[in-house]
Amino acid sequence: MKSRLSFRLLIFIPALILITLISFILMKLAPGDAISSYMDPNVSIEDLAILRNQLGLDQPILIQYFKWLIQTLKGNLGFSIQHQQPVLDLILSRLPATLLLSITSLVCILTLAIPLGIISGYLKNRKVDHSITIFAFLGMSIPSFWLGLMLILIMSSILQLLPSSGIINPLLIDAALFTRITDISIHLILPVLTITIGGLAGLTRYIRFDTISVLNQDFITALKARGLSNKRILFKHTLKNTLLPLITLLGLELPGLFTGSYIIEYIFSWPGMGQLGLNAVFSRDYPLIMGILLFTGGLIIIGNLIADFTYSLIDPRIQTKKIS
Amino acid sequence: MIPIPKAIKYIFILFAWAFIGVTLFSCGSSQPQKSNILYTRIESEPSTLNPVLTTDKYSSAIQSLIYNGLFTVDSELKIIPELAKSYSISSDNRTYTVHLNESVTWHDNQPFTAEDVKFTIDTYLSPSTNTVYRSNFIIDNQPIETRIIGTHQIQFILPKPFAPFLARLTTSIIPKHIFESKDINKNPNNREPIGTGPFIFNQWASGQFIRLKSNTQYFEGTPKVDQIIARVIPNDLTAIISLENKEIDESEIKPKDVKSLENDTHLATYSYEQMAYIYMGFNLKKPPFDSLYVRQAIAHAINKSLIVEKVLLNQGQVAHVPNHPISWAYPNKDTFSMFEYQPEKSRSLLEQEGYIYNATSGYMEKNNIPLTFTLILTKGNTVRENTAKIIQQYLQKVGIKMNIQLMEFQSLVTILKEPVAVKRFEVALLGWSLGLDPDSYSIWHSSQFPKGFNFIGYHNPNVDTLIIKGRQETNPVERKEIYTEMYAEITKDIPYIFLFYENTLHTVNKRVLGLSQPSPAGIFLNIEEISVQ
Repeated sequence: MKSRLSFRLLIFIPALILITLISFILMKLAPGDAISSYMDPNVSIEDLAILRNQLGLDQPILIQYFKWLIQTLKGNLGFSIQHQQPVLDLILSRLPATLLLSITSLVCILTLAIPLGIISGYLKNRKVDHSITIFAFLGMSIPSFWLGLMLILIMSSILQLLPSSGIINPLLIDAALFTRITDISIHLILPVLTITIGGLAGLTRYIRFDTISVLNQDFITALKARGLSNKRILFKHTLKNTLLPLITLLGLELPGLFTGSYIIEYIFSWPGMGQLGLNAVFSRDYPLIMGILLFTGGLIIIGNLIADFTYSLIDPRIQTKKIS
Repeated sequence: MIPIPKAIKYIFILFAWAFIGVTLFSCGSSQPQKSNILYTRIESEPSTLNPVLTTDKYSSAIQSLIYNGLFTVDSELKIIPELAKSYSISSDNRTYTVHLNESVTWHDNQPFTAEDVKFTIDTYLSPSTNTVYRSNFIIDNQPIETRIIGTHQIQFILPKPFAPFLARLTTSIIPKHIFESKDINKNPNNREPIGTGPFIFNQWASGQFIRLKSNTQYFEGTPKVDQIIARVIPNDLTAIISLENKEIDESEIKPKDVKSLENDTHLATYSYEQMAYIYMGFNLKKPPFDSLYVRQAIAHAINKSLIVEKVLLNQGQVAHVPNHPISWAYPNKDTFSMFEYQPEKSRSLLEQEGYIYNATSGYMEKNNIPLTFTLILTKGNTVRENTAKIIQQYLQKVGIKMNIQLMEFQSLVTILKEPVAVKRFEVALLGWSLGLDPDSYSIWHSSQFPKGFNFIGYHNPNVDTLIIKGRQETNPVERKEIYTEMYAEITKDIPYIFLFYENTLHTVNKRVLGLSQPSPAGIFLNIEEISVQ
């Protein structure tokens, strides 16, 4: 297993470079560039040409790419054209808000989806299962854009219970730690609720299906025959087996945790990575797009790696065999 | 009974309590404290707070509170002195001498002098500065010369007389002592600006808000509000709820939202002209748009007043020339062609061009080919999308088939800017913002094709001459005559169909007092006079 791990780590860097090269070329194939969008009659063509030259946008694509790559290997991700600050600073300034929102939502989704899924699977085709299924599909089919706005309208506008948007009240940003934590938690409620309702369904269905298939296996019958209680069978033996595919799923979710959701951030004015990334694409802010891509590309590879290895650690049946 | 282990039960109970607790806790603190703070909204995060490097209107909005120009505009868009105390123009119209206000200091208490003015202009002119407005200080490929005469006296010497120059001195002045030693493009003070304006920069929380504090040393008097917090709220609907909830004091809104806000007694909506026009531009290098009759036919087929009524909900007005009625250079009504809605005339013009109406297909045809074209416009702007749909229906009525193609902004711009003899578009629906000066060289002069903003390929030698004359003439009365003649030429040629001017709709909480008279310069023109209850 050690050799497998070192092999995977060894191809990490080449894989990442390949990802960035392909993305860079794809990005450059999109029409326009960071400078071309100035449709202002007061801006002269000569000035745009000087600017394009300053930013190195007039050079061949591959030269631009290798310049970027060399700087990146030196640890310099460049300077965002749109935001006019270092890409790394920009990503780091937006990352905490995104992580806070996505991890909180993931915890909420897991704590609700696992019990709901197991109950639903255990009581297959009973009333409880049907109601959970209906609820799950309802949550899945409501567009998060609409749901978010409805929640703002009800909780913020009509009931006046929660702030409509933002991450913290601007007046409390320098307040004591506890006050800040409370205020941020208040601002978290609506976006987390929106993400949880939307994300609950898929996972609940997934776990329901796994539970059903595990419960049909022979070892469950054997456990029953031994006289184990239902509770023990369900929450010890079934749960363990159900969680296995979940790990792969979560490994794949890892990049999503960092990239954030544009829609949610847009509605709730959440200062996260989703808005940063999409706006960078629209304005062709190449250094920023590449910075974010490098980041998410790395996370995808790491996520897969973690999923693979935890999987074989948890499940002794899956032992990686050396190819002889 | 379903077996639920205790741990899960506890987690559920914990969640429920946390939710209830936080919700109850929030009741008091979700509203901003009603202190002496003005809460404004910006749609998108500013890119920089250095006016030399700015490219977006959100940055400019914040910068205008922190910096001053030598000149500024009043609510009638007249250019009036700001950092300048007085000025004179030499008889040959080439030398502008400006006396600066001696009592002005920077926010760090350094004195403001002519050195700062010269430094600002030199920074614009330096090729290593990443600015898009360098050409503001270059006239016919020659940079203007800046000469310091005294600590508070400066001269600008132009290579030749250039009437739009005074408007260009509304540019914000930046401090030399802050920017001279470091690379201007990456200077940390681009995000922590030092200005001379009514508000002092305090804090920038990325993606959230920018906080400014009042400048008690401001040379035109201390502002009445203690702070301005400009919150970044990208979504319009969220902004409207925030207005209703009193979380923000002002926001621009869309025409369709006026009605829903009417019931809120604490809000008032103001409507004022925006110095911009929306138009349909023909690719004059491509048949059939090289034919004057076809262009006229299309112009007569569209009912512009109905577009203003249905799309803008009357928050705007019909356009006829490439200037706004509020401008001093706007021509008298009888001097230009109007192209009223006359569908019969439209058909007869097409018939003169050789088109025959085919009753079975319902289209005007020439050699059995129906008159068809594609209108391109940017995706996401509902006003323009709806305008295109209405135009499509009107053209259908006279037998012209118009397809609508929505494009991402960058793709559209790439097509328009492609430096080829015949560009790959037929008709484009776009808008131009109008500057303080009526000069529009970059749009109408034939030298601006194929590279430049004359992407339709307009070429009229008379217009070329008039544009140059208009730049050199400094007497406003004579300039107006030149532009009247130019607009007459342009409307006769009809390279664009000028559609309409949109109004800006601005909703403000009634607790905000001291707003200026609504005008294209906005309602927050005298920001230091604005107070909140």
